[in-house]
Amino acid sequence: MNWLSRFLPGSSPGLNPNQQASLEAIAALPAPDLGRSHYETRYVVVNTETGPMDGGGQRLLAVGAVAINRGLLHPADAYHASLGSAPADALIGLLKFIGRAPAIVYNAPFNQGTLERAFEQNLGSVPEVDWIDLMVLMPSLYPERIAGQARMDAWLGAFSIDRIDHRDALLEALAVAQLHQVALARASVQGLTTPRDLLETQSSRKWLRGS
Amino acid sequence: MDTTASDTLIRTNLDFLRRHAPFDRMEAEALRFLGERLATAFYPADSEILVPEDGPPRYFYIVYRGKVQARQVGSVAVTEYSTLTLGPGEGFPIGSISAERPSTNGYIAVEDSYCFQLPAADFLQLQELSPSFQLFCTRYIASLLNQSREQLQVQFSQRAAEQQTMTTSLSNLVKKAPIFVAPDMVTRSALEKMAEFGVGCLAVAGEDEKPVGVLTQSDILKRILLPGFDLTRPIADVMTTPPHTLNGNASAYDAALEMATHGVRHILVVDTDDKLKGVISERDLFALQRIGLRQIRSGIESAADVQALQRASRDIRQLALNLLAQGIGAEQLTQFISALNDALTRRIIELNLKNHDLYGVEYAWLAFGSEGRHEQTLSTDQDNGILYVLPEWADKEPLKLRLLEFAKDVNNDLAACGFPLCTGNIMACNPDLCLTIDEWREKFGTWIREPHPEALLNATIFFDYRVLYGDEKLAHKLRHWLLSMTGGNPAFLKAMATNALDVAPPLGKIRDFITDDDPRHPGTIDLKKYGARLFVDAARVLSLRTGVDATSTVQRLRQGGSRIGMPAEELSAMADGFHFIQLLRLRHQHLDTDHGSSGDNRVKPDDLNELDRRILKEAFRQARKIQLRLKLDYQI
Repeated sequence: MNWLSRFLPGSSPGLNPNQQASLEAIAALPAPDLGRSHYETRYVVVNTETGPMDGGGQRLLAVGAVAINRGLLHPADAYHASLGSAPADALIGLLKFIGRAPAIVYNAPFNQGTLERAFEQNLGSVPEVDWIDLMVLMPSLYPERIAGQARMDAWLGAFSIDRIDHRDALLEALAVAQLHQVALARASVQGLTTPRDLLETQSSRKWLRGS
Repeated sequence: MDTTASDTLIRTNLDFLRRHAPFDRMEAEALRFLGERLATAFYPADSEILVPEDGPPRYFYIVYRGKVQARQVGSVAVTEYSTLTLGPGEGFPIGSISAERPSTNGYIAVEDSYCFQLPAADFLQLQELSPSFQLFCTRYIASLLNQSREQLQVQFSQRAAEQQTMTTSLSNLVKKAPIFVAPDMVTRSALEKMAEFGVGCLAVAGEDEKPVGVLTQSDILKRILLPGFDLTRPIADVMTTPPHTLNGNASAYDAALEMATHGVRHILVVDTDDKLKGVISERDLFALQRIGLRQIRSGIESAADVQALQRASRDIRQLALNLLAQGIGAEQLTQFISALNDALTRRIIELNLKNHDLYGVEYAWLAFGSEGRHEQTLSTDQDNGILYVLPEWADKEPLKLRLLEFAKDVNNDLAACGFPLCTGNIMACNPDLCLTIDEWREKFGTWIREPHPEALLNATIFFDYRVLYGDEKLAHKLRHWLLSMTGGNPAFLKAMATNALDVAPPLGKIRDFITDDDPRHPGTIDLKKYGARLFVDAARVLSLRTGVDATSTVQRLRQGGSRIGMPAEELSAMADGFHFIQLLRLRHQHLDTDHGSSGDNRVKPDDLNELDRRILKEAFRQARKIQLRLKLDYQI
C-alpha cells in the first residue's frame, strides 16, 4: 500500500529511531486533495545540486526547495540542505518540507532520478511523490513561445526570469518557482485548474512523446 | 522553517529593494522587516491586480518586474488623462491603504508582471518602524524632489571640486599641447608663430623638448619694439632664461605662489624628464577660484567694452555651475542668471547710448518670452523690442530711425556676448517691434479680437514682456490696459487655453514616456516643448484671466491659482514639477556646454537615473493636472 511500509523497523537498518519516527510522521500526513484549485494548493518546487561521481555519473550534493502556496512565493517557506555527512537527515528534511504536496521540477528524468537514487541509497527506499515536470508541461501551456522541449534557460529567458546562481540548488529553485507561477497563470486560463489536471496533462504528453 | 534558506531568499528581496527609492534609504531594521514579509505573485498581461470593488486593499504592492497601469475608475469623464504606468520599484496603492479605504484606481498588469505584496497591517507597521518610509508616503512628491536635489548637489560638487580646487595638479590643468620653438629660430618667425596660435607666452625648447627660455607678450614691447631689436637674430638672444618651470605634479597653489614670488604671469609645466608639457597662465589659475556674484556684477557694471562683457558672460555660465554645485534650486538659479543677464543687457545699452543720442526720448527696452518671465536658461536667444513715446512736436520717422539704429547695435553686441540673434527676428531692430504705446495696443488688441493661431502664438511670446531698461511706467500702463482687455474676454481666454492644451505631457499609457518620433533624435523628449511650456502656457492663461501682473510662471501659478481657489499645496506641487523640469534642462545644458557642444533641451529619459525618471514622471503628472483644470474651466 503506501511507501512507508517499506520503512518499517528492520527494513532499513541505517536509520535511527528518530529518523524512523520522522518518516512515519510524514507518511501519516493526510494526502492533499489534488482536485482543489491551484490557488488553494501548496506546491513545492524541488531542485538538486550535483557533482561528478568517482567512476562517472552525478552525485547529489544538496537539495533546495521553495513553496508556491496559494499562488504566492514567500521567503519563509523555503528549504535548503547539503547532504554532507548526514545525508539521511537532509533528505528527511526535504520530505518533511514537501509534506506530500505535489512536487515541481524542471527536467524530471534528471532531478527526480537523482533524488530517487539518493532516497534508495540513504533511506533504503523511494517515497511516492507526485512529480510534475515543467519541461514537459511548458510547451503545452505556451506553445506560441517555445514549441518543443527546451532547456530551462530558454524558458527563463522567455519570461525574463533572472537565474541568480545556477550552481545553487535554492536560487535555481527560486527561478523554477517563478516559472511555475507563470505556468499556473496559463494553466488556469486553459481550464487546467487543479494539480490533478496538470498531472493528467503531463502523462498524456509523455504518452504522446512515447516516453 | 529553514532559516538559512529563508535568509537567502530574503537577501534576494533586499538586493532588489536597495536598488529602488525610497527603500534604498530605508533604515536597516525596517528594510529587513519588509524583506521578510514580501510574498511574490505573478500577474499575466491584462489581468487585474487590485480594483475598487475589492474594498480597502489587503496588500501593499511593489512592482518587481513588468508594468502595472493605474486607471481611474468612474468619476470624471476625462479617463484619457487619468492613467499612469508603474514600473519596477514603484509601490501602490499608497493613499488608500494608508487611509484604509477602497482604492480609487484599478491596477492592471499591462505586461506579464511579478509583484511583491505586503499585508496591509504590515504596511502600517512599516511606516511606524521607518520614519523615512513614512515621509515618503506622506510627502510623496516632495520627498522625491528633495532626494533628487541632494543627488544633484553631490554630483555637481564633485564636478566643481575636480575642476576648481587650488590643489589640482598642474598636469590636470594643462589643456593644450605647448607651443614652442627652437632657440635658433629667427625672432620674426617666432613672433609670427605667437600670432598664429594666439598665445601670450612662447616657450623655447631644444630638440630634447627641454625648455631653455620663454618670451611673453609684455617682453615684446620692452625688449623688441622699443629698443628696435633686429628681428633676424635668433630668439635665444631676446628670451628670458632660465624659464620658471614646475613639475606636473605640483599644485595650482604652488604655481600661484611661484608667480607671486617672481612676478611672472606664466609657468612652464614639465614632466619628470624635464620635458615641456604645457604652459599655465595667471588667468588659468584665476578661473579656478570661485567666481562670486558680486565680482561678476561689478565686472559688468564697470565694463568698458564688449570684450569685457564677453568675459562676464562666460563668468555667468561658470557661476551658474558653481551655484548648482552649492545646491541652489532651479528657481533661485534662473533668477540669478536672469538678474545677471539683465545687468549685462543694461550695460550693453549704456555703452551704446554713448554713440546714440537718445536724450529726452521716452522709451523702454522690453524683454519677451523666457527672458520676460525671468526664466532664461543658458541657451536662450534674444527676444526684445522697444516701446516709445512720440512727442507731439517730433516727426515719427527720424525718431524711429534713430531708435532702430541704436537697437541694431545693441542686438549685435548681445549676440557677441552669447545671446544669439533671434531667428524669428523678434528683436528691437525689427521696425515692427519698435513701436509707440498706441501701436503696441493696436497690435495686442488685434490678437485679442481675432485669436487665429498666429495671433495666439504671438500672445505667448509678447504678453510676457518686461522692462529691462528705460521707462517702467510706460510698460505698466500697457500692462493694465492688456489685463483689462483679456480679463473680460472669455472667448480669447478660451482660445488661449485651447492653444495651451495643444501639447499633452509625454506620459505613455504603456511605456513611461512618449519620446520623440523624429528619427534625428531617437528616444529623446524636448523638455521645453513637452515640459516647461505646458506649465508656462497654462500659467499665462491663469494670469490673463485673473489679472496677475507678474510674468514669472510660478508667480502666475501661485497668485492666479489662489484667486480661483486652487489649494496652495496643489499649486506648490505644480511649481515643484515646473522647477524640476527647469533643473533638468539646466543640468542638461551644463553638461553639454562643458563638452563644448551647444546646449539643447532634448533629454533622453533612458539616460536619467531611476529617481530622476520617476520625478520627471511626477512632474508631467503635475502638468497634466493643470491642463485638466484648464480643460474643465473652459469646457475644452
